[in-house]
Amino acid sequence: MVTARCEQPPQIKFFTAAEAACAEALLDHLTGQSDKPMVPVLRMVDARLAADETDGWRYADLPEDAQAWRDSLACLDADANLRCGCGFADAAEAEQMALLQAVLDRGSESWHGLPAAHVWSLWTRYATTAFYSHPSAWAEIGFPGPAYPRGYKNIGVGKLEPFEVPDAEPSDDPVREGT
Amino acid sequence: MRGVRARNESAWLLPNDGTRTNHRLRRDMRGFADDDELDLVIVGCGAGGSVLLQRLARAGWRVAAIEAGPFWDPDADWVSDEAGSHHLYWTEPRVIAGTDPVPMGSNNSGRGVGGSMVHYAGYTPRLHPSDFATHSLDGVGADWPIGYAQLRRYYEQIEQELPVAGEHWPWGDPHGYPYRPHPVGGNGEIFLRGARKLGITAKVGPVAIANGRFGNRPHCIYRGFCLQGCKVNAKASPLITHIPDALANGAEVRADAMVTRVAVDERTGRATGVYYLRDGTERFQRASMVAIAGYSIETPRLLLNSACSRFPDGLANDFDQVGRYLMVQGAPQTAGRFDAEVRMYKAPPPEVSSEDFYETDPAQDYKRGFAIQNVSPLPITWAEHVAAQGHWGRGLREYMSDYVHWACLGALCEFLPRPENRVTLAEEKDRYGLPVARFAYSQCDNDRALVRAAQAVMEDLLHAAGADEVITIQRYAHLVGGARMASDERHGVVDGRCRSFAVPNLYVTDGSVLPTQGSANPALTIMAVAARAADQLIEGARSGSG
Repeated sequence: MVTARCEQPPQIKFFTAAEAACAEALLDHLTGQSDKPMVPVLRMVDARLAADETDGWRYADLPEDAQAWRDSLACLDADANLRCGCGFADAAEAEQMALLQAVLDRGSESWHGLPAAHVWSLWTRYATTAFYSHPSAWAEIGFPGPAYPRGYKNIGVGKLEPFEVPDAEPSDDPVREGT
Repeated sequence: MRGVRARNESAWLLPNDGTRTNHRLRRDMRGFADDDELDLVIVGCGAGGSVLLQRLARAGWRVAAIEAGPFWDPDADWVSDEAGSHHLYWTEPRVIAGTDPVPMGSNNSGRGVGGSMVHYAGYTPRLHPSDFATHSLDGVGADWPIGYAQLRRYYEQIEQELPVAGEHWPWGDPHGYPYRPHPVGGNGEIFLRGARKLGITAKVGPVAIANGRFGNRPHCIYRGFCLQGCKVNAKASPLITHIPDALANGAEVRADAMVTRVAVDERTGRATGVYYLRDGTERFQRASMVAIAGYSIETPRLLLNSACSRFPDGLANDFDQVGRYLMVQGAPQTAGRFDAEVRMYKAPPPEVSSEDFYETDPAQDYKRGFAIQNVSPLPITWAEHVAAQGHWGRGLREYMSDYVHWACLGALCEFLPRPENRVTLAEEKDRYGLPVARFAYSQCDNDRALVRAAQAVMEDLLHAAGADEVITIQRYAHLVGGARMASDERHGVVDGRCRSFAVPNLYVTDGSVLPTQGSANPALTIMAVAARAADQLIEGARSGSG
């Protein structure tokens, strides 16, 4: 199952070509890979929507996930057209990021008639679920992945299995240093 | 443990050859015909339904449980993977509303034989005696029609049957556990260290994973995927703790069959069986009694979808009680970063708990309280925690890259039962054409005060243990209520023995009958309530008063 995720993902089935371009830019920004693609998040999200594999709930003020994706991508394109005179996919990277941050900053307020926070939740849930199901993302964070029937023998703070590699710079908290 | 085997042989009916399913038992399972009038048909095969099925089958009843999801085989169906476990959750459409809508799916909703206990963490604390009388004691919530004393022996029985491992429990009604506590991993170690510094009592357990072999169930291998279904058969779920014994005693489990309606004879006012869909065909199973155990969303939905001319507003809903007083626990999750490597994904996510803040503290401006436990989010769930801080893109990736350095605690805050927190039917229909559930949730001031207090304690614990930074995500956990037990039909749907007030041969035997929830994970209480209901049914049949 995990290795299947590493193979060439399926063709786009759910999104239209225009939607796919917009969604790809959005998803790659949300997962921080616009400059250096690592995980085919667009294809994974598309496959999920094509199969109607929802989380089993939706907010009352959003339509079902599939429609909410189409609607919110159209809103993103509308914002880009207003600001940059082109679709979201064709906007400059800095503009794209500013447009996304503006949606996040709206919080519980309305965005084109949709609740901004619930749209943000929809986007990030699908994006991070796809991204952090991929072994390349696990390698980046030091997660060893499936553990059956192997399990773990050395549990406790600072205790490693023979196959686990310690963090090279344990006191290097990227966030602490960055602020 | 000899006493356990004499009353529930499940753990000894599983294979001991490294595989996890007794296929012969399933192949030889008794099958009833639709027009066989069963003594009792059960809707749903989770914590409540499975215990009821096993108890009644042992007593010689002709019983079947009809389950919407599959009959799981841990070898073939479950994986050590977060995204790959999506099929364990109830993902049929549901609409969430209210000022504080509660996400469903992976958070609180199971499907298939074993129910949500297939993917619960494994914490199995008891309620405290005070939970049964919060209205009398604290002026909030509700009093149960039964007390802790009526449930105690069932708590003990189920703790032996799961079985539960943990230290001696000093809170509520102090008690021990049948198995010694598990060794703790990095996350549990951090919790214990912080608690020691602050003078907070924290204990290892109570966890429904035997510390040792139990029957043919092997020892836990500490792989950390409890929430994805236990491939080892170490963590308890009804699939392995009650269903094997039920089958061996002649019960039927009819999986992949969705009950759509409970039928009632308009003349006698008694339930006559259930309509269900299997392989796209509607069928009707006759039964002289019906027990619904579909949990807090699907049980009210089924009652509402079973409206008829005698019950135009939904079955057993004469007083507009169905679907109301549904509760979730406020479950803020606070993580702390340590320079040392915690690697919280190693070891089972349930490790250490504290119930020091469980009871009402007169010094506080809120009633009731909260419990604190270890939680160990895997990468996708951890990304949700980090994203909730407003991080995305490169910032999210940088935070995530430090995964091995984080420890995580979760609180369970006792949100109060409120009539407006309820299930109703939405306009939207599911793929069978049935109206889906609409679940509205709104917090009250007491709820919000509990969440603030719990978050502050968790931040203190992590700082005391040496964390340099703490971050919190607001979450919810568990479901109970929605068809609660009460002393009369104007305040609830069923009585203290789980029998509906309106239909004398209709029972509800799942978490939806709980009038309050305490700060305890509900699985053990749901099983204990079902075991008690089963005893009373068996006793009633013997004395001819059923």
